[in-house]
Amino acid sequence: MEADELLVLVAGGDQKAFEQLYGLVSGPVFGLVRRVVRDPAQSEEVTQEVLLEAWRSAARFDPGRGSALSWILTLAHRRAVDRVRSARAAVDREQREGRRYHDPAFDQVSEEVEAGLERELVRRCLNRLTALQRQSVTLAYYDGYTYREVAERLSLPLGTVKTRMRDGLTRLRHCLGGAA
Amino acid sequence: MSVLGPLFRREDRHSLAAPYALDALEPDERRRFEKHLQKCGRCTVEVRALSEDAVRLAWSQAAPPPAAMRERVLAAVQRTPQELGRAPVRERAPQLPPHVWGTEPPPGRSRAPRARRPLFVPFATATAAAALVVAGLFAVQANRTQDQLDAQRTQAREIAHVLAAPDVRATTGTDERGRSIGVIASASEKEAVITLTGYADLPTGRVHQLWLMRPNVQPRSLGLFEGDTPLVATGLDRTATSLAVTVEPDGGSAQPTSQPVVQLTLKSVGFGE
Repeated sequence: MEADELLVLVAGGDQKAFEQLYGLVSGPVFGLVRRVVRDPAQSEEVTQEVLLEAWRSAARFDPGRGSALSWILTLAHRRAVDRVRSARAAVDREQREGRRYHDPAFDQVSEEVEAGLERELVRRCLNRLTALQRQSVTLAYYDGYTYREVAERLSLPLGTVKTRMRDGLTRLRHCLGGAA
Repeated sequence: MSVLGPLFRREDRHSLAAPYALDALEPDERRRFEKHLQKCGRCTVEVRALSEDAVRLAWSQAAPPPAAMRERVLAAVQRTPQELGRAPVRERAPQLPPHVWGTEPPPGRSRAPRARRPLFVPFATATAAAALVVAGLFAVQANRTQDQLDAQRTQAREIAHVLAAPDVRATTGTDERGRSIGVIASASEKEAVITLTGYADLPTGRVHQLWLMRPNVQPRSLGLFEGDTPLVATGLDRTATSLAVTVEPDGGSAQPTSQPVVQLTLKSVGFGE
């Protein structure tokens, strides 16, 4: 069964459906959270929170607005970003981080390669963006910086960063060709 | 402040779609933008597309979680109650006759055949229409698995939510062959429950897809009908003028690919302004 149908069953309190859903989404959720949060123990914690939240609030899922996977990953991303920002705020109070950002081509691949093909495709497409598009998108999405912070780090005006983000995502879409 | 100030600010808000899709707004900004989204159809469309792009970024990072997590999460699920999704459903029994609750068939409607009549004739009274719609909901309960019943329970909750709205209204239309479409809707809750009756026979690989029609806007898919199971549509704004059902290939289409088999105006249920 697909994640969409499962999530609808989960909303009705179906624990068996949740077990199946876990099999489908725990990998993507964990991978994303770990990419953003970095710290393994905290990543596990956030992943568990997200999966439990998916169980609790499954009734809010509206199949008319997108897939179950997007719904859960959007939730996961928001929680991961919240976590990394509050951790960062704590660190920043003590030591102001350097403003440097070095941008090798996008190559931060973690060890377990699960979604091999998709990962390779996304990596290749990210590398086709201009450096500023790629940095704007990845600093925000994978590193959890706000667009103001991104602008500051890249020494760019706010408007430019917003445009780079939009252009970057749109170009990524064309490169990925909409194949799910 | 310059006279262009307000203009610039408005422009500015549109441009936040990408940072929003990337979760790159600060909390205050996020709230303001979400408020703006409720009024800005163009932004909503853009945000949805950009968010799908962001999800591709997410998906590419998939990695198996530690094996022990599974047991922990499943155990937690067993003792964690679920939200109803919204404010608790107000328990107000709808004022509907007994056949509505499945113990009796819906009242028959005799019609003298006419030479020509519009495809759909709206019902005179909301109660009659609601009765028909709700009868459609409960006529299909037999022979369902537990999972299906659970899904239906969720749906029943949605339906109860719509029914309990102070401005709930209903309408239905029937064609010459006795097939009908019914709608119970609340403009204030922006929700509607839609049932199809008598349209079940479709060739394999074909489905009935429901569309929301608005002036000067592409039809928006509200979902696929599965047999007689009603559809719950949320987020309907007042500009919605009508509903249409088309026959589409399995899985549905992004836009209608055939003429509607049935269309129903929403004016009488408080939409179409």
